[in-house]
Amino acid sequence: MVLASILTMGFLGLVFAVILAAANAKLKIEEDPRLEALEDVLPGINCGACGYASCRALAEALIGGEALPVTCVVGGRAVAERIAQVLGREFKETTRRAAVMHCLAQNGDKKKRAVYRGVATCAAAELVAGGDLDCVYGCLGYGDCERACPFDAIHIIDGLAQVDYSKCTACGLCAQACPRGIICVEELPLDANYVVFCNSNDPGREVRSFCKVGCIACGICVKNCPVKAPKLENNLASIDLTKCKMHAICEEKCPRNVIGHIRRSPLTVDRSRSTTNDERLTVAEGDKNA
Amino acid sequence: MHELQKLILVFIGAALVNNFVLTYFLGICPFIGVSRRLDDALGMGLAVTFVMTLTATVTWIIYYLILKPLSLEFLEYVAFILVIASLVQIVEMFLRKSVPRLYQALGIYLPLITTNCAILGLALFMVLKNYTLPQAIVFGIGGGLGFTLAIAIMAGIREELEYADVPEALQGAGITLIIAGLLALAFMGFSGIIGG
Repeated sequence: MVLASILTMGFLGLVFAVILAAANAKLKIEEDPRLEALEDVLPGINCGACGYASCRALAEALIGGEALPVTCVVGGRAVAERIAQVLGREFKETTRRAAVMHCLAQNGDKKKRAVYRGVATCAAAELVAGGDLDCVYGCLGYGDCERACPFDAIHIIDGLAQVDYSKCTACGLCAQACPRGIICVEELPLDANYVVFCNSNDPGREVRSFCKVGCIACGICVKNCPVKAPKLENNLASIDLTKCKMHAICEEKCPRNVIGHIRRSPLTVDRSRSTTNDERLTVAEGDKNA
Repeated sequence: MHELQKLILVFIGAALVNNFVLTYFLGICPFIGVSRRLDDALGMGLAVTFVMTLTATVTWIIYYLILKPLSLEFLEYVAFILVIASLVQIVEMFLRKSVPRLYQALGIYLPLITTNCAILGLALFMVLKNYTLPQAIVFGIGGGLGFTLAIAIMAGIREELEYADVPEALQGAGITLIIAGLLALAFMGFSGIIGG
């Protein structure tokens, strides 16, 4: 009985193996050999973070020239370099995607309008009449983003979410978790890039009254930039990173010190160069190192 | 004549009365997964029909000419899965070469036909009901065409659904499953046609 079953199954297996081998030989299609090499290089987890359905789909797009080697978000620089190697292209890493946190207000900088004793999550606080801060656009600091991040790349430090750029993979989960949309995943040019770290659409005098570091839409950055990279919209300045040439004039001239730049290391904003005349709020001293 | 009558009954039974998807609830995965566009649904249905017919034939031959004479009926599960897997691989290779657009559209659902319980169910039912070879072949064709009918109706409805005002809570999986249930209810109307 046992022998009979083994022999039978073995025989059937052999028959079908032969049929399949013959079919494979007959129905073969020409395939670019680089496709398989690329598939080996890519992580192979089919996560879809790059925007393509699978690693194989990305490999096909890479060969077709529609995608750049840096497209694989999870693979990062290492994978991008190997992809460029397979494709025989020179690897020119010019930008990277990362999460940008558009708020700079730590616990001493922002005013609270209420004492919140509810569930300590940003989503819950936001539901209660728009949160416990005077500013309805700023970081609530209860840490929904920190909990959402699978890479331990964003932390609440002194009431403000701060991104650790050595770990951020631009997966976008923190941006989804933030109920106020303060965090955005952006394409950052590599060595230095200038960002307005504020999200507020409130008029300048209101921002001045409840936040020491909010953008007041004074327009000084717009007036002084030689390449016209900053623009003012809805009481908020923002910088077009495709135009920015890193003159750093905006960062120097901003009276609120809300413009800073991001390098590979954690965010640093030099706040000792404050030129504000505002006497109602005292300016924080020293560096704000993350 | 009597034989022909039986064949017709087997066909109607497999396609309508005991529809694999809507009566036995087998093969739900491609039914929901490939029914977004009518073209893809028809392509999938035809692939499944082809696999079912061929499976029915080959498994009948293997069961009645190899397993039964050697008293190895218990090997039916293993042997049938082997057959189905190989057949689906061949279909996949063939589609990739001849109709690459359909191959891309079906994507992962093509190899999923292998693990599709509808195919294995077909093979096992055929053994259970003691069909002769002509009956088994007709059973395969009927089952496949019934599957095609069900998935085509579903695709047609889902295409129309894109213009409908579905409540937010039901969007996506919710409304799709409700429609599948309603279709199953509708097909219950066929029961009793072939008396048992």
